[in-house]
Amino acid sequence: MESNVYEITDSVEKLEAAISRVRAAQEIFASYTQEQVDRIFSAAAMAANRARISMAKLAVEETGMGIVEDKVIKNHFASEYIYNKYRDLKTCGVICEDKASGMKKVAEPIGVVAAVIPTTNPTSTAFFKALLALKTRNGIIISPHPRAKKSTVEAAKIVLEAAVAAGAPENIISWIDVPSLEVKATRMKKAAIMLATGGPGMVRSAYSSGKPALGVGAGNTPAIIDDTADVVLAVNSIIHSKTFDNGMICASEQSVIVLDKVYDAAKAEFAARGCYFLKEDETERVRKTIIVNGALNAKIVGQKAATIAALAHVNVPCGTKILIGEVESVDISEEFAHEKLSPVLAMYRAKDIQDAFAKAERLVADGGFGHTSSIYLNAVTEQDKIQEFSSRMKTCRVLVNTPSSHGGIGDLYNFRLDPSLTLGCGSWGGNSVSGNVGPMNLINIKTVAERRENMLWFRAPEKVYFKKGCLRTALDELKNVLGKKRAFIVTDKFLYEHGCIKPITSQLDEMGIEHAAFFNVAPDPTLACAREGAEQMKAFRPDCIIAVGGGSAMDAGKIMWVLYEHPEADFHDMAMRFMDIRKRTYVFPKMGEKAYFIAVPTSAGTGSEATPFAVITDEKTGVKYPLADYELMPDMAIIDTDFHMTAPKGLTAASGIDAVTHALEAYASLMATDYTDSLAIRALQIIFKYLPRAYDNGLNDAVAREKMANAATMAGMSFANAFLGVCHSMAHKLGAFHHIPHGIANALLIDETLRFNASEAPSKMGTFPQYDHPHTLARYAEVAEALGIDGDSDSDKLENLIMAIDSLKERVGIKPTIRDYVPDEKDFLDRLDEMTEQAFDDQCTAANPRYPLMSEIKQMYLNAYYGRSFKEEEKPDASFIASGDSQFDSHNFKYVYSSKTDKN
Amino acid sequence: MVLERVIAVRNSKTVYRDGANCIKVFDEGYSKADVLNEALNQAKVEKIGICIPEIKEVCKIDGKWAIVSEYIKGNTIERLMELEPEKKDEYLEQFVSLHMDILSKTCPNLNRLKDKMNAQITLADIDATARYDLHARVDGMPRGANVCHGDFIPSNVIVAEDGRPFVIDWAHVTQGNPLADVARTYLLFWLGGNINGASQYLDLYCMKSGVSKQDVQNWMPVVAAAQSTKGNEKEREFLLSWVNVFEYN
Repeated sequence: MESNVYEITDSVEKLEAAISRVRAAQEIFASYTQEQVDRIFSAAAMAANRARISMAKLAVEETGMGIVEDKVIKNHFASEYIYNKYRDLKTCGVICEDKASGMKKVAEPIGVVAAVIPTTNPTSTAFFKALLALKTRNGIIISPHPRAKKSTVEAAKIVLEAAVAAGAPENIISWIDVPSLEVKATRMKKAAIMLATGGPGMVRSAYSSGKPALGVGAGNTPAIIDDTADVVLAVNSIIHSKTFDNGMICASEQSVIVLDKVYDAAKAEFAARGCYFLKEDETERVRKTIIVNGALNAKIVGQKAATIAALAHVNVPCGTKILIGEVESVDISEEFAHEKLSPVLAMYRAKDIQDAFAKAERLVADGGFGHTSSIYLNAVTEQDKIQEFSSRMKTCRVLVNTPSSHGGIGDLYNFRLDPSLTLGCGSWGGNSVSGNVGPMNLINIKTVAERRENMLWFRAPEKVYFKKGCLRTALDELKNVLGKKRAFIVTDKFLYEHGCIKPITSQLDEMGIEHAAFFNVAPDPTLACAREGAEQMKAFRPDCIIAVGGGSAMDAGKIMWVLYEHPEADFHDMAMRFMDIRKRTYVFPKMGEKAYFIAVPTSAGTGSEATPFAVITDEKTGVKYPLADYELMPDMAIIDTDFHMTAPKGLTAASGIDAVTHALEAYASLMATDYTDSLAIRALQIIFKYLPRAYDNGLNDAVAREKMANAATMAGMSFANAFLGVCHSMAHKLGAFHHIPHGIANALLIDETLRFNASEAPSKMGTFPQYDHPHTLARYAEVAEALGIDGDSDSDKLENLIMAIDSLKERVGIKPTIRDYVPDEKDFLDRLDEMTEQAFDDQCTAANPRYPLMSEIKQMYLNAYYGRSFKEEEKPDASFIASGDSQFDSHNFKYVYSSKTDKN
Repeated sequence: MVLERVIAVRNSKTVYRDGANCIKVFDEGYSKADVLNEALNQAKVEKIGICIPEIKEVCKIDGKWAIVSEYIKGNTIERLMELEPEKKDEYLEQFVSLHMDILSKTCPNLNRLKDKMNAQITLADIDATARYDLHARVDGMPRGANVCHGDFIPSNVIVAEDGRPFVIDWAHVTQGNPLADVARTYLLFWLGGNINGASQYLDLYCMKSGVSKQDVQNWMPVVAAAQSTKGNEKEREFLLSWVNVFEYN
């Protein structure tokens, strides 16, 4: 053995100096590469391995506890198994990287680890902790127990010298030569983390040091022998484990609970293998010897069975393996029910497996919360018992057919349980770790996350038929391509009575497709109506649903579709708000398994034929359920102008303006994309040009009708993917509170919304990675330009856009303020706060580029009521730092946007 | 002041009665700090809501330090148990209830129980390894901030003529975990040779308060070690048998 001379650490001052040395060494060590570290780890493990016998001898000699040959196994385990398990583990620098996602994990050392080493494993635990520290680039101060200080310090020296020889910084490992209370307190204060192994007191004091601590605690392992167990295997495993190092492993069995049926067999096997069953009076004497006032007598720990028997004045043969007391009580008042850290075992008879579980539960609760439990049974046939046992035991290790001393420390009887000499007991044991402690517990992992933009997609109906008269071709497909046999038509009374669905039914008849119709859909369709339709569907069993009409009929059709396919679905759940439709909590049921869904709009506006949305009202509570999920996307949309020709003027106006707001909100949305932008812009161009014509002369102007029909569906596709914004949030509630048609409600609020969203310094902007700064004003200016609306600045263009929208609204007969539709001012004001809060909570709010405060929503409502304009709260004046060169104005979205694009 | 009627003689102090006053006179050589500390401790707990004789004066009588307090007329619970053995259970009940009452009080200015215990263990004539274990054990014991009398035994409770129980001798009061004080009372019964009384007391306390005996027993090794700094050689030997238990570390 080397004979280096080290400064003796026996006082607070010297410890402080030692910690400074370790810290300085650790700072150097922190820059080592994985290759350097692995070389040191290997050399240190080899040295520890070589010293396994000398260290085992020294430990037994110094502590007077345990067995040399078993301590050799522990030392061997602590070096070989730990090395083998972690040799290839990455613990330095980048340990995992995902370039595409912009994420990497970087391992950093913690600093100086303060390690407490127990008397029961003075050398193996020292090896173990020192090796973990080296593998993770930490420094370590080893604190031995006074009873085992020589052997622990010697073990630390061996690892240190081997590590330094392999290139580790000098002083990377240090130790306390003379442990004392003051020194202990200093160590706790100065270290970065405590790695304590010991009894509950030690562990509690580690946790109370105010430093992060990895502490573990006492065990009180019960072992059940079920009547399906291999009794010979069970008994001999327990003897093997219980006698290991004279019972000083904390996972060691303290009690064996044997089922009545195999009790005698187990007892005979224990006796045949050299265990001694205590007679009644002997049991009593051993009781009083092992436990003093509820605490474990220090004199028996790690002693041979015969030595303990002698202390209790019981005469047993010298080679006795275990003293077994047959006892009944599992209460803590029974001395045999305690953790004994010696070859003394309690044996219980259980009348059945439930009794055995109950006893084991109690023993764990009394003294081994979180540690280890074990059971012997036929693991092939008794999986249910394993299941129940593992769910009932509050232990972090549940071992099956395994000697618990060897089993608990891992990698000996199961190769997926990590090898360790520090076994976490979870929150049950007051610990911060529940697994077997390893290197990952001694590193800080930094996650480096680069900004990434959300994945987006574009979804639309599988098929969209358009052009005047396209119905015939579209329906033909039902028979010739899709092979449908039974069609169910959903529509409203007006359309039904005016023969509007006649072209559909005639063709179905021609093709020999059975059909039925539900025509009782009213505006703002109710759940009752949808249920009624769904009942009829259930009876008719369609393989195809054709919803014909405006938003109400199509929405009602979608809901009936849901009820028909999934009668168990809950609307509360389906209507749950989401921040991101792809991360929503609720998984929408799979649609289309029973029926194919076709939407045939009869007015140009809602876009429901191309959206995954539907709104339904619970007539009992008045609650509106806005459902949104791509499962609700129609399979086919038929945009046939023939169905649009007779739409009345009011409907044409309201739907047309609704489509304007769809396009405007989709364009400004946080989730707007090149795909949705192009649809929105084109839709707006068409509507501004053709809405007045469709309004004036709809009955005869087939071109205007067709253009409007296309524009509405395109706007629908746009917002089906980009979503809407706060205008719709407010319009939904205004409509619900004051019975204003949906399109009108949007028309009344759109001006306010545009001004509100256009702010260059909003109180809060929306949260979405793609939306990197407030740039909605520039977006609206783009809309204006696309519509041929000029202005000197973006703000001018916005104001001119609003004027154009206002004149379009006026042109189609829509009045300017909410007051024009809600003359009862008091009622409006009385319910304004409630309406405001509901609007804030509307699903559409999430995609708005500006995150609205409730006070701002209220202000917008008031402005729209009285015909005032939104005014921003005053902000600090930034003009004195303006560069003058608008090219470099960070608020100039178009500049930033185009320069980005150029780069790509 | 007339020091005529001796009420009690204890180690290095004598207690006299003078009309409405009770005078505790300390022997010469008794630490001034200890005397003043005792008076201060008692003054601190006077208002916690327990019947405690009021401190009136701390003075010197014939060159000896003395504490003058209110005299309480009545018998101690210890004496009452002797006088009326048939009512022993009743008195024990009263004793335990009173202990629970005290242990429910707080008094933030008192010294900390664990500090005192650690200081006593440091002084104890026990080998360094065992002291290390005991310090670790004290550290790991649950905390508390309740009034712990420190010497709560039946001879320190006087039942006044109106039936109110007065608690005397607050020299050892600290604030800490109540169960430590229960363990100490249990130990003091033992040391007084009343082993039966000790277990009756503990059973009753645990039953009435709903705490487990195990939780009280956890304190025994450290309470016994702290106590070992005081007692005589025979007591010491007995106490150390309670101290030498294994804290797995």
